[in-house]
Amino acid sequence: MDQLNRFENFHDFDFGLKMVYQEGYEDIDLAEEDIDLLANEFTGVDEDLEEGALQDQMQLQLMLQQQYAQEIPEVVKNFIIYFHRNILENNVYELHGIYENSFNRLTEKFYAKTPWPEADYIAPMVNDDQVFLTLYRELYYRHIYSKLSPTIEHRFHSYENYCDLFNFILNSDGPVSLELPNQWLWDIIDEFIYQFQSFCNYRNRLKNKTDEEIALLRENIQVWSCYSVLNVLYSLITKSRITEQLLVSKLGGDMIEAAGEYGSRPLYKMLGYFSIIGLLRVHCLLGDYTLALKMMDNIELNKKALFARVTACHVTTYYYVGFAYMMMRRYADAIRAFSHILVFIARTKMYHTRSYQFDQINKKGDQMYALLAICIALCPTRLDESIHTHLKEKYGDHSSKMQRGLYTTMGIDKLAAFLEIEAEELRTQLLIVKQKSRQQKWTSGTLLEGEYVTTSDLDFCLKQDMIHIAESKVGRRYGDWFLRNINKFQDILAGMNLRS
Amino acid sequence: MNNDSLLFPSPLIPPSRPEIIQSLIDGVDRYNPDNVSILEEYLAVQLQNEEYDLMANLAILKLYQFNPHLVNEIVINNILVKALTAIPNPDFNLCLYLLQEGALNDENVLKLITLQQLLEQARYQEFWDTFEKDEAYREIASEAIGFENAIRKVILTAICMTYHSISADLLRSYLNFTNDDDEFESFIQSRELIIKDNVVTIPTNYDNEAKPTVIRENIKFEQLKEKEPKIKVVKVVAINKI
Repeated sequence: MDQLNRFENFHDFDFGLKMVYQEGYEDIDLAEEDIDLLANEFTGVDEDLEEGALQDQMQLQLMLQQQYAQEIPEVVKNFIIYFHRNILENNVYELHGIYENSFNRLTEKFYAKTPWPEADYIAPMVNDDQVFLTLYRELYYRHIYSKLSPTIEHRFHSYENYCDLFNFILNSDGPVSLELPNQWLWDIIDEFIYQFQSFCNYRNRLKNKTDEEIALLRENIQVWSCYSVLNVLYSLITKSRITEQLLVSKLGGDMIEAAGEYGSRPLYKMLGYFSIIGLLRVHCLLGDYTLALKMMDNIELNKKALFARVTACHVTTYYYVGFAYMMMRRYADAIRAFSHILVFIARTKMYHTRSYQFDQINKKGDQMYALLAICIALCPTRLDESIHTHLKEKYGDHSSKMQRGLYTTMGIDKLAAFLEIEAEELRTQLLIVKQKSRQQKWTSGTLLEGEYVTTSDLDFCLKQDMIHIAESKVGRRYGDWFLRNINKFQDILAGMNLRS
Repeated sequence: MNNDSLLFPSPLIPPSRPEIIQSLIDGVDRYNPDNVSILEEYLAVQLQNEEYDLMANLAILKLYQFNPHLVNEIVINNILVKALTAIPNPDFNLCLYLLQEGALNDENVLKLITLQQLLEQARYQEFWDTFEKDEAYREIASEAIGFENAIRKVILTAICMTYHSISADLLRSYLNFTNDDDEFESFIQSRELIIKDNVVTIPTNYDNEAKPTVIRENIKFEQLKEKEPKIKVVKVVAINKI
């Protein structure tokens, strides 16, 4: 685990996050030297070994490598070589296919129940290309997380690998020339946060852990720490100048100047952008719902937004925006967010049935229906027809319809008697109803803005002991009627034209 | 009549917020544990001057969340006391979300949750009973200058939203002005309420109006535009027929 030390410099991308609380925190220069030193650690450590013993060991390792390599199916070998070539050539189009289809097909065929070959074994096939191997490991660990159960070593090494990847992207001399499909870039951010969350859950379950595991966790508190995760996301945002770019696209200005050397490359721009959505999620996980929505200050929720380019990102954005609103008791806004994305999922279902993310998106959709049911119970609202039907099918038993009032005025005593409660209790209840029927609701500006409006159809006021009740009704809808008739006349006229 | 609700959210940027706090909570500096004292001092100013800044106070709790060794129970206390004065805004809950699980067993925090529940459930007389009878409750809120009046404002807002007229005795008990008539009258006059024959009349506002409305579709001509070319064709055809 010594190797992990070299990631201490990782806390110190030069972007303002001060990690002063950590002991043993070093200057950048020092830490960078450490990397160089540690890169040679294998030879360094073995210095006192006999020359011959060292060679023996290396030979043994080589033999094992070769042996294992022979066990890798030919088709997988070819795939890796092809994969590597396309990474070198920055062929985003091919990489898209490799990433979305080939990798998953091969997984199903050969690695449904076992991990992919370790990066060390495929290293000779790709000329020991460290960048490729880091990317490969990203997929390797992600596969373990999704299909198998990761051990503590997997968790640590995967973290280490993310450190490698982000160090490469953020701390190379100048911007790196790597290009990856948007979907993959989103998945990198998404998975990074998922593994962070998974690690927090894992760390908190102390029950079945060995002393050794507990000691490891204790010694490595910086691994998957909140600060390091936030550090990565904020660093990507700063490096890509994505905030500046979003401001220019909103208010106008010189985009090239705003984007700068890094931000004008798609890799940086998209990673920066996805990091904003990532922070929305992380802050929700940490229970900071205002800060979560604050992250979205420069992103407008509409179809033209960049997040809509990757379906999973689109769904995630609305899920967390809706969730944050719900926790802030802004149910009307939560309902709007959930219904919007649920309609989107329903309408695009046929397009993503084949996607490897189909199951995940559907699962998120189901969760959102449940959240929507909660919001609707707390704030009865008319919904989109298809959403309403689906909700009734799924959660019909859970939600009951609100009773509409029959009276327009009524004495407190009379209603109290109806409800079989004390008049005083009824007064209290009415005061509660009044306040709960008012909600902060977004109309314009950033997501955190909004004004108090009435969200209930039924309103009332008290004149001493008399309740005056008023109901908002939906007027007759002419829109549909007009449209129907316009269509009808068109048909008639078309018919007449045919005959004449 | 004003068209806005009597309720308003806690401002994202209160006018009283100093520049230094603004830049601190806007950037990554908000994660720097060294800054906690600046924010804590700002909280002290809020307590003293009857001001309130939710976002800045959440930033303190955020630093506590990441750096448990910094936690100061009195500060948490005062933040929650301030959040009570913002009801029915969700501020109190937003603060609770950021506390460590253990903090929810803290005696003072539990007391504050009791007060929050009573206020949110509009059990105002019970709120004052609880608050007045137990020295410990008053002790918790002792650092927040003007706490009682701030709570009275919360209650009065709820009453003004719900009532057109209300018996003065009932209102007096809601506001805990049982002994002092002068104070009661000057307090409710600040909201332009009129007291006559032991009945308090509340001017009409957005929230206590309760008039039936009809929600109408509002279709703009442009929205039918998709249909427009076809409609034009129809017209031409019709003319030809004639």
